[in-house]
Amino acid sequence: MTAETIMQSNDYVIETHQLSKRYGRKLALDHLDLRVPRGRIHAVVGANGAGKSTLFRILLGFLPPTAGTASILGRDSQRLTPEDRGRIGFVNEEHTLPGWMRVSAVTEMHRRMYPRWNEQAFHSVLGHYHVLPEQKIAQLSRGERAGFNLAVALAQGPELLVLDEPTLGLDVVAKRAFLESLMYSNAADDCTVIYCSHQMEEIERVADNLIILERGRLMHMSAPDDFCARVTHWVADIPFKGPDPQSVPGLLQLQRLDGLHHYLVLDQDDDFAEFLRASGARSVQSMPVSLDRAVNGFLAKNHAAPTPAPAQGAHA
Amino acid sequence: MKDLLKAEVLKFRGWALGCVAVQLVVLGFLTRVVDLAQQPDLVYQVFALAYGALGLLLGLYQMGGYRRPNTWLNLLHRPLAPWNIATALVGAGALLLAIGILLPPLVVAGWQEWMTPRVVDTRHLLLIASGWMIATCAYLAGCFLMLSDRRTGFCAGVFLCLFAASEATGLGAILLQLLALAWLLAMVLVAFKPDLTAAPRGIARTVVVAAPLQVAMWLVLVMVGFGVEFVWIAQGSHPNNLEVPQAGGEKEVENAEGKDVMRMGLRDSRDPQAPLWREQAAISEIFELSPSFRTVPARGQLTNLAPMEFDDQERHIRWVFSHDTMRFEGYSLVDRRPAGSLGVAGDAPFPAPVMPGPDNMLFDRGTVYQYDQDSGVVLPRAKLPAGERLAGIGEAGDDVAVLSDRALYFYDARELENDDGVLVPRQRVPLPGAIGDLQRVDAMELLDGWLLSFAFVRSSYNAEGALPFQEIVRVDATGKVQTVARRDVSHDYTDTWRYQNWFPSPVVYTVQKAAKTAFADGMTPLRKQAPPVPRAIQVLVGVLMLLSLVVAVWRTRKTSLSTPARIAWVVTCGVVSLPALMALWLLYPERETVDDTDFVAQPATA
Repeated sequence: MTAETIMQSNDYVIETHQLSKRYGRKLALDHLDLRVPRGRIHAVVGANGAGKSTLFRILLGFLPPTAGTASILGRDSQRLTPEDRGRIGFVNEEHTLPGWMRVSAVTEMHRRMYPRWNEQAFHSVLGHYHVLPEQKIAQLSRGERAGFNLAVALAQGPELLVLDEPTLGLDVVAKRAFLESLMYSNAADDCTVIYCSHQMEEIERVADNLIILERGRLMHMSAPDDFCARVTHWVADIPFKGPDPQSVPGLLQLQRLDGLHHYLVLDQDDDFAEFLRASGARSVQSMPVSLDRAVNGFLAKNHAAPTPAPAQGAHA
Repeated sequence: MKDLLKAEVLKFRGWALGCVAVQLVVLGFLTRVVDLAQQPDLVYQVFALAYGALGLLLGLYQMGGYRRPNTWLNLLHRPLAPWNIATALVGAGALLLAIGILLPPLVVAGWQEWMTPRVVDTRHLLLIASGWMIATCAYLAGCFLMLSDRRTGFCAGVFLCLFAASEATGLGAILLQLLALAWLLAMVLVAFKPDLTAAPRGIARTVVVAAPLQVAMWLVLVMVGFGVEFVWIAQGSHPNNLEVPQAGGEKEVENAEGKDVMRMGLRDSRDPQAPLWREQAAISEIFELSPSFRTVPARGQLTNLAPMEFDDQERHIRWVFSHDTMRFEGYSLVDRRPAGSLGVAGDAPFPAPVMPGPDNMLFDRGTVYQYDQDSGVVLPRAKLPAGERLAGIGEAGDDVAVLSDRALYFYDARELENDDGVLVPRQRVPLPGAIGDLQRVDAMELLDGWLLSFAFVRSSYNAEGALPFQEIVRVDATGKVQTVARRDVSHDYTDTWRYQNWFPSPVVYTVQKAAKTAFADGMTPLRKQAPPVPRAIQVLVGVLMLLSLVVAVWRTRKTSLSTPARIAWVVTCGVVSLPALMALWLLYPERETVDDTDFVAQPATA
């Protein structure tokens, strides 16, 4: 491997090439080509079944790919060594911790296990929560457990931290505390963070880069604002039926509300207004959309739907 | 690693302490009622079953708790090698079992040793250790079952089956358990990896899992045979269940009365006295003898074939045999005080452990002793020649018949009763076949000796037993032996049925046989004389081996195995036959490809 190649592979914390994973007849990952650069917070979004959890299980070596390759921190994901694992932090929605142990004992165990343990980072995160060292893990609330898990993960000093739906099931206060402890932790500044979530308000707050997966494929990767700029909401007053949805360019969603046609479209400029007018619109108005609306509209377009039941014919 | 081990011990400490409490109560109660060190084999088997079940449950529960994808990821995604993590968890399990299973019996044994006059030998402590090892092996089997792919996880159970079938004794049994424990530990370490679905990598890891898997597949085929037999029995034509056994067959000889056995054996005899003997058999008393001592006690044996104790009713003393001192140690049944020790002819140690029998008789592997109630002394009364082993004893008219693994001896019963010296046998009749094949001996007393029927039909229903036959032998008063008739007994089962456990894989059959009899030492089963394998069965074996090889060539092409691995598996299937092919099928599923998915979600129309 040349120095340039090493340099290039070090630029990316995650690299996949034609990565595919099959479960029976279904492709959970479909020839995925993904390169996540080092540094910053990258948000991964996708509907249920988009392949997010499968991707991370393959990247961490817990699932074999059906085809393609995957590497994490420049290492083959199927051949990670203990030292490699020490560089990667992982927090998932279950916040799996030994319930029968005390907070102090778990902390001490991790302190001994991770040579780069950062005590300051640990306390800077845990300080957001009222967690006592003598408490048993099972006695912590869900939010406190999440916070403790994050504190332990950041204190490990990882180069890459993967957070897979870490705020699932947390109340509003706990979510806020979690996000703030992540955003304001110096340890988080020093590592690359991959944040998977369905909560767009969280993504908007924390993400520098937005990655959208859909049916195992990479659909989009850019800054959140850049993605929002691609999606526009058009409201048209069309007195009659309106254009056939199949003919509407870049259509993500169509709704009729109070007699008005609401179009959510992708990558359309002012020419779209002309299209609507040509289709009979008396008035046309466009407006930007929130990240939540943009992502949901983008993902909803490709959701599977059941085949409609055939109409019941009248008996002769 | 130490942190993980401590954490796991902490997690299950309640269970371990509960187990200690329950055991102390149960064992404490039992030991007040009976002598736990002098129980028959069945009692220890029940304990072994209970300990094994406990260990298995612990393994299943502990690893089951980690088996869920997120929990497994959390456990293994840390800067520790998987084997390190596995060792910590498994070490904790073994330690918990040591606390829960090893400690209470040791406490009870200590109480029995220091607070009672009962005998506690080294072998009893080894028995307790053996209980812990059985539990730990079952625990490891449970761990492997939970961690492995569901198609192969059950193969760890072959080691538990081995314990049930093994003839190993004493330190040999401990060694066998240690070997099994080491292999099971290796299996768990192989299975303990981030990707639980992956097949083992490398030759050593593959052998560690594939070898027991092939034995397990052989056992599955044996079970298929059981299933067929079950249906056969239900259908009503099984030889064992016929109201009237097949004429001239094995079952007929097994079930017949002595007089009928004699007549059947003499039917085609050309001896001039045969007609007379046939008539006499109808009216004479026929004495039946069988090799009832299939095994004899061995020194250091962990369990007991039967309680090694007898009571002197007159003196109210219980004499219990000690393997450590090789003498009987006595205690008063009245005040529970020690009553001294009892050896051969006074205080000499017995050369081998003795087992009490009826009428104050005691037996070891080569000698019959008698306890003289009046003098309170044990004296040898009959000694087998060196190299011969006691197989049975019984009454025959005014004689006592002693069966060894080589011959049948007749002793004068009155001399046995009235004298106290070592008896000389009146007659010695060499066995016309292997003792392990002998089902029954029928003896008819003649004016000047004995007419004996030897029926060698014991194991002829399977591949290990001799071809069944019956031989009538006459021994006169001087000890001259003469064969007067011999007939071949017809098979009740076809060759295919008899060799059903052999032809699927002669290699695995041989290996499992060797494992079962490994370290048997003094408890080696009685010798049998298996006949040559019939030609048709040999051809069947060859066909199955060739078929397995051909199918393996086809199957390995569909897997992700490397070329050297494919060659190794093809050769293995050719040599080991069906069990190897089945193991190959289970270990290596068809290679996944991306292209043949035909289900694609259709997008919803906007």
